Amino acid sequence: MISSFPPGFIMIIGALLIPFLPHIIRQIYMMILILVSAYALTLGFGIHSKIEIMDIQFIIFQSDSLTLPFAIIFHIAAILNVIYGAHEKNWNQHVAIMSYSGAAIAAVHAGDLFTLFVWWEATAFTSVFLILASKTKRSYRSAFRYILIQVGSGMFLLAGAILLMSDTGNAEFRSFDINSLDGQLIFIAFGIKAAFPLLNGWLQDSYPEASEIGTVALSTFTTKLAIFCFAKSFAGTEILIIIGAIMTFYPIFFAVIENDLRRVLTYSLNNQLGFMIVAIGIGTELAINGAVAHAFAHILYKGLLFMGMGAVLYRVGTCKASELGGLFKFMPITAICTIIGAISISAFPLFSGFVAKSLIMSALGKEGLVFVYFMLLFASAGVLHHSGIKIPFFAFFAHESSIKTKEAPINMIIAMIIGSALCILIGVFPSYFYAILPYQIQYQPYDFSHVVGQLQLLTFAAFAFICLWHFKIYPPELNSTVLNSDWIYRKMIPGVLLPLLNLINDINKKVEQFFEFIFKSMKRFFADTMIKNKVFDREVGQDTLIVVQLFIILLIFIFVWKIYL
Amino acid sequence: MKYLIEKFGKINTSVLFLCIIFLILELIGHRYGETSIEDILFFPAFFGYLSCIIIFKIGVSLRSFLMKDEDYYDK
Repeated sequence: MISSFPPGFIMIIGALLIPFLPHIIRQIYMMILILVSAYALTLGFGIHSKIEIMDIQFIIFQSDSLTLPFAIIFHIAAILNVIYGAHEKNWNQHVAIMSYSGAAIAAVHAGDLFTLFVWWEATAFTSVFLILASKTKRSYRSAFRYILIQVGSGMFLLAGAILLMSDTGNAEFRSFDINSLDGQLIFIAFGIKAAFPLLNGWLQDSYPEASEIGTVALSTFTTKLAIFCFAKSFAGTEILIIIGAIMTFYPIFFAVIENDLRRVLTYSLNNQLGFMIVAIGIGTELAINGAVAHAFAHILYKGLLFMGMGAVLYRVGTCKASELGGLFKFMPITAICTIIGAISISAFPLFSGFVAKSLIMSALGKEGLVFVYFMLLFASAGVLHHSGIKIPFFAFFAHESSIKTKEAPINMIIAMIIGSALCILIGVFPSYFYAILPYQIQYQPYDFSHVVGQLQLLTFAAFAFICLWHFKIYPPELNSTVLNSDWIYRKMIPGVLLPLLNLINDINKKVEQFFEFIFKSMKRFFADTMIKNKVFDREVGQDTLIVVQLFIILLIFIFVWKIYL
Repeated sequence: MKYLIEKFGKINTSVLFLCIIFLILELIGHRYGETSIEDILFFPAFFGYLSCIIIFKIGVSLRSFLMKDEDYYDK
């Protein structure tokens, strides 16, 4: 029975009962749903369930060495989300989170593109409620843009699947050729969800507008589902190395000048996705392990950072660096957990980021991709700057603000402590972590060169920041909007299209007026001719009769010509 | 030492000392990189420091044309 449905499906169906349950029982019930869903992971690798409709086979539950690590981390993240959101008495967000997590888990186990499409769109429609949950004008607008883009991505996927089906007779979810049209459509679909350069606007636009619980969930599933899909379908596609390298590089500068700390984290998310995309582009066993390990570790430490900022938002009501500061004395546990997340993302030895990122850097070194290697090394210093230092520093230290608050609710603290513990455990015992990766390889991240090199890079980058701050070179954070690629469809296209539409409208009106004038003139001319010549009178002149007869002959001619020729 | 802590702060001085320790570690053991350029003495330290300054400089210069009013999209 359990093998008939994919993991996650029980979470989606079970979510329908959530509104009818009282607050605390609801949280326990959600935990049980996740554990029941996770039980399906013990069934082993292979195709477990498929259905046939109209001669088309839908593989709804299949698992392999790539699905397992993603399924594990998605279930862990779902549990952390339930704990983190336990203070929320309203059922709406719980239903959204449970069904959103379930859809993402089910998508990972899809064996064909049509099944993937169903869960792909399900993640979009369930997650949009987390953005709407903020109940602000901005969040409503942002949610509208988010759903349009997500559904648009699904349309590309569907088009690719239909084309593939018509070409090959099946739409199996497998490796695709980037040079074929179906492959390109699927590539774009994945690329939108993975927030590729210029397709990333939705990420920075929508995630910071979601509720404090919602952003934690959003940061986990959508983009990492895209990473899974790329790893499954486009491993070794060289263009991904270039795209990924750009992704690691450019969000750093945006993150440095961004004032909203949750938005800083979304730029950081974009940058981290770049590391994974580069690794998938390399495509070797070491690199794919690196991409999966990085996705796994990233879900934990980025979730932890979003939890920290969510707790600050929940208590203080803002996440703007210009308005925060000095919160360490009021929220010490939140601060320590956020610092652990910041150390992990910066890839300090003994933390999860280090053991994951080392795989990718080693894979790059082994393939001799020196330029990309240094781009990613530069990006690593950038990660320390904006996520490692900026986030904890401006929220909990920097300057004294007039804000007085208290520590985060106990459920948030528990979730953050579990997240922190996992970040440290992965960093301290990497061999257990490496054991769940798709390929069994021998890799030792803790050698003298790796550790000393990384420590030098990070401490000196931190020292540079200290110098900039201490000598007052670092400019103050300002309340502002930083332009991103969403500017194209929020300002540029309306800015160009509206005047263009107005011009077309004006031309249309003028043309209408012109033809109206012509018709009126003709009408007047014929009316005058008819009346003046007394065509309708009993006694008419011969010349008028000739005109009328000629006109009738002309009509007959047109009629015959139209019908018979 | 006392002067340094007074002028530079406790945490900042600690970071400075850590930097020095990690430089000394390189002199004690043999560090090598994934690429041959990284084998240059103290390369990661220079790279880390310079990268941070470059990121800051570019970030600040981008402020003038990427930074708009907070209600830019609401207008």
